[in-house]
Amino acid sequence: MSREEIWHIVIQQVIEVIPELEGYSFRPSEKLADLGANSMDRAEIVALALEALELRIPRIELFGASNIGELVELLYAKSIA
Amino acid sequence: MILAGIEAMNVFGGSAYLNVLELATHRSLDTTRFENLLMKEKAVALPFEDPVTFGVNAAKPIMDSLSSEEKNKIELLITCTESGIDFGKSISTYIHHYLELNRNCRLFEIKQACYSGTAGLQTAINFVLSQASPGAKALVVATDISRFMTVDAGETLTADWSFAEPSAGAGAVAVLVSNKPYVYQVDIGANGYYGYEVMDSCRPTPDSEAGDADLSLMSYLDCCEQTFLEYQKRVDHVDYKDTFQYLAFHTPFGGMVKGAHRSMMRRMVKAKPSEIEEDFERRVMPGLMYCQRVGNVMGATSLLSLASTIDQGDFSSPSRIGTFSYGSGCCSEFYSGLTAKEGQERQRSFEINEHLNSRYRLSLEEYESLFDYTDLLKFGTRNSTIDPVIFSQARLSKSKTGKSCLILEGIREYHREYRWIS
Repeated sequence: MSREEIWHIVIQQVIEVIPELEGYSFRPSEKLADLGANSMDRAEIVALALEALELRIPRIELFGASNIGELVELLYAKSIA
Repeated sequence: MILAGIEAMNVFGGSAYLNVLELATHRSLDTTRFENLLMKEKAVALPFEDPVTFGVNAAKPIMDSLSSEEKNKIELLITCTESGIDFGKSISTYIHHYLELNRNCRLFEIKQACYSGTAGLQTAINFVLSQASPGAKALVVATDISRFMTVDAGETLTADWSFAEPSAGAGAVAVLVSNKPYVYQVDIGANGYYGYEVMDSCRPTPDSEAGDADLSLMSYLDCCEQTFLEYQKRVDHVDYKDTFQYLAFHTPFGGMVKGAHRSMMRRMVKAKPSEIEEDFERRVMPGLMYCQRVGNVMGATSLLSLASTIDQGDFSSPSRIGTFSYGSGCCSEFYSGLTAKEGQERQRSFEINEHLNSRYRLSLEEYESLFDYTDLLKFGTRNSTIDPVIFSQARLSKSKTGKSCLILEGIREYHREYRWIS
């Protein structure tokens, strides 16, 4: 799966968790926290993205991403590993 | 077959509490979605309270319900805490003294963050099951308090740490473990445990906490899955939805448990949102009730949730409770046991709910004035005297219940001195 496809999957999960962001134009440098996602929301987004990508890895392996672009990059690296 | 489990259990949720929404508003935290966190009150340790008084006050009513012959069968006293008051001498020595237990008794203390209570409980259960001393009982006292100060946020110590203050409580749960499991009979060998090294949250200096809320949450959720999967490997025909009539969780705050339950129901049962909500109300909420009134009591929290489940659930027919425990760092476990109507009646005789209702409500001014006393009881204090009249209203509210209560009077040459009041 390409980075672009993973980006779209992640954005879908963000909207699933925070429906008010429907139609928002996301940028990779944006932080989920700045978009109104608290730590529960962020964990939920990560779990949903892992599920959608059928990645069976611990959530903590995705720790450390400081913005949406970095989260996509981490998921991409895991998906090709 | 030998049985083992909880003969009696009691909770001490402090002499005073604070409304946490008031605190969050006062601290200018974002309260728009505060309700989702499912927090209500937190117990606050007063200057005359410490982990010893909390532990003794939880255990004393159990001791008073025993005959001297039964009490003398306690041969193991384990304290479970991350709020230790000395590097060498364990809290159990003080608790043993003030409960006037038999001297032919092992005394020690266990540390593993919020997992400590479970480590103590499982150690006690195995002591009973081993039959090395037939008929012997074990007393497990999980006791933790937070006198609030945070380590300054640094590069990696940031995130939602500001929410640690409203969630951090104070409390103790005392559990008498024996071969007479009147209240809760353990499913022997039905334990899924899981641990690994992770730096999610810690107490790197006395009386303070540090960590990363995101990492801790992710690790908690990972462990929630892994412990259940391991449990499922060891026990035949287990289903997350049908095997357990109730689920008790380690509860840093209710919202986190709600998220963990949702995630488990989706992954293990493929449940839809409406089904998850109904299941949460029915199987999980009974265990959250006391947690919402006491706050996160670290090592004692999963036992607090278990006590809450047993008091608040419907046990008209014997029911199985699955308990998940997590301690940062980390170690975690999912285990189960059975409670019946007689067990619930026995446990309700300790009137935990009435005790929580009898606590003194602190104003924000009173709460903030407590920070002035933090130095008085700091870890390593050599000599200190607690003003005998401070927060006398809180003392009075306890004495109205008619139960005697242990309070800290002071520290003399590192030795803590206590007194009974009634």
